[in-house]
Amino acid sequence: MTPRKAAAAVLAAVLAIGTAACGNDDPAATLELSAALPEQVPSGTVLRIGDPAVQAVLGAAGLDKELTAAGVKVEWANISGGPQSIQAFRADKLDCSSVADIPSLFAAWTGTSTKIVFQSVGADPLQHPIYKLGVAPGVSVTSLADLRGKKIAYSAGQAQGALVLRVLQKAGLSQKDVQLVELTSTGDSYVTALGTKAVDVAPLGAQNVKIYEAKYPGAGAIDTGIRDDAATVYCLTKSVQDAAKAAALKVYVSVRTKALLWQNTHPDEYAKLYYVDSQGLTPADAKAVVELYGDKAIPASWDNAITRLQESADLLATEQKHDKLDVTTLVDRRFEPVETAAAGSQVVTGDAA
Amino acid sequence: MTATVHVEQRVTDPGDTVDERVVRRRLGPGRRIRFAFWVGPLLVLAIWAAGSAAGVISPAILTAPWDVVAAFQNQWAEHDLLGNILSSLNRAVLGLAFGVLGGVLLALVSGLSRIGESVFDGPIQIKRSIPTLALIPLFIAWFGIDQEMKVVTIALISLVPIYVHTHNGLRSIDGKYAELAETIGIGRAEFIRHIVLPGALPGFLLGMRFAVTSSLLGLVVVEQYNATSGIGHMMTLAGQYGQTDVIVVGLVIYGVFGYLADTAVRFTGRKVLSWRRTLED
Repeated sequence: MTPRKAAAAVLAAVLAIGTAACGNDDPAATLELSAALPEQVPSGTVLRIGDPAVQAVLGAAGLDKELTAAGVKVEWANISGGPQSIQAFRADKLDCSSVADIPSLFAAWTGTSTKIVFQSVGADPLQHPIYKLGVAPGVSVTSLADLRGKKIAYSAGQAQGALVLRVLQKAGLSQKDVQLVELTSTGDSYVTALGTKAVDVAPLGAQNVKIYEAKYPGAGAIDTGIRDDAATVYCLTKSVQDAAKAAALKVYVSVRTKALLWQNTHPDEYAKLYYVDSQGLTPADAKAVVELYGDKAIPASWDNAITRLQESADLLATEQKHDKLDVTTLVDRRFEPVETAAAGSQVVTGDAA
Repeated sequence: MTATVHVEQRVTDPGDTVDERVVRRRLGPGRRIRFAFWVGPLLVLAIWAAGSAAGVISPAILTAPWDVVAAFQNQWAEHDLLGNILSSLNRAVLGLAFGVLGGVLLALVSGLSRIGESVFDGPIQIKRSIPTLALIPLFIAWFGIDQEMKVVTIALISLVPIYVHTHNGLRSIDGKYAELAETIGIGRAEFIRHIVLPGALPGFLLGMRFAVTSSLLGLVVVEQYNATSGIGHMMTLAGQYGQTDVIVVGLVIYGVFGYLADTAVRFTGRKVLSWRRTLED
């Protein structure tokens, strides 16, 4: 073997070793999904969570001590929303993430098994919608019936897309009655699309409505009249089946419940800690955003939330040609009593839930 | 282009001899202009400021320069802009360092040996044509969601131009030099040190110019994912809340750092390549 060939062989070997994937599965006690949640958190249990809004307030609310006292160590990831969390789940680099309701459906349709372990709702969802329908300047849309024949921004894989389908359903229109324009919502892309009249109507996050109306004279927005207040934490099924992580999650769900209720009672601190310090808004804007979204509430039972999730799943399955999905397989109701116990008398019942 | 003019100048000197030397116009770009570094950017800034002041450029399209300065001050005072810049630079410099190292090594291996070329050149060309954004999900699976993934991504982005230009520079060294080396019988190590490395240097430096800016560009991609600081992170957030002025602050910072880094590389190149006589000088 000539030196040159030897060098090449060595390099090839290094390359092969370098690219070989290295799995590091530490064996953990598995827990049946029907078994009771364990009480004791084994020492050194780590939860990898993407939940920025709660992470921001834990310290100020004095709740981080509860986690450490129970022996739970949280590795925070600055990840929220469907696409990013599903990506991290697939790579098994994240246990749980806070999202709305749609990502859990898309995770199932794209072959990632997850479980919802936390549900919260808006205290007054129709007064504080998460989304409104932005209307382009010079376009006349005053009610949902006016949507007929309009160009509507639509992104199939996002909550905004599901919302458009639900709005059409409510208005008694089908996809054929309107012109759906495929457009992904990133940053303020929908604001720009409306302002430049690329579309007539687009779902806008409530915080963006103000920006939109200020930026483009003659721009407007109407309410959808649809509940869009679903908020969940969903976790990799694999992590829930890990006995140590399940015990830690039980603690986290309880702590998170208290954190949400703390946010309700401390709107100014919440605005500063999350929207100013972590999201970079001005104090005035932060205050406005917190008021815009209103209070959150802990439902006494998950029944209604699951019914609504099933409705969304059925609608998306028919409109976007996905498989039928039984959403009871996507929730882990063992965490339901944990959540309601932590909220105590502060749960909401009936229609509010 | 104007035609070359032959001017006959008669210069009468005290000795009453007639000097009839021909003075020709230089064909190259000519002498270096002082402060050339500032001329272009200041011109752009002037047009931007004038357009904003006259109302031709509406704030919805592009924030006025003075509003950008105000936003810059606000970010600096309220939102730890310095921390963002430092953490971005930290990622970029780390990634660039690994990228340059890897790119030079691979270019040498692949440039000096046919076997190395057949092994490495293909994969690198393939990597070149794959959008980095599409690789992110894979990198998350391989390297996790933390700093490691971000640095590796930037390293790979900046490795490519270094590799391509160094390899090209190395292969375009005049064959006469290799023959000369063979004639005087120097060994491989000396050949690399005295001929290959200096000869590949212009290529490497050109690769460097691309690499420094692409490492900065890579930040935007990697800081969209699980970052808690950095200029890319700041711009992503600002996009969500429609803060155009903050986005422009980010763009200006990118522009300034990119321009400074590029100028530094060119300046270094001028000093290091002073043995060349080119139109650059």
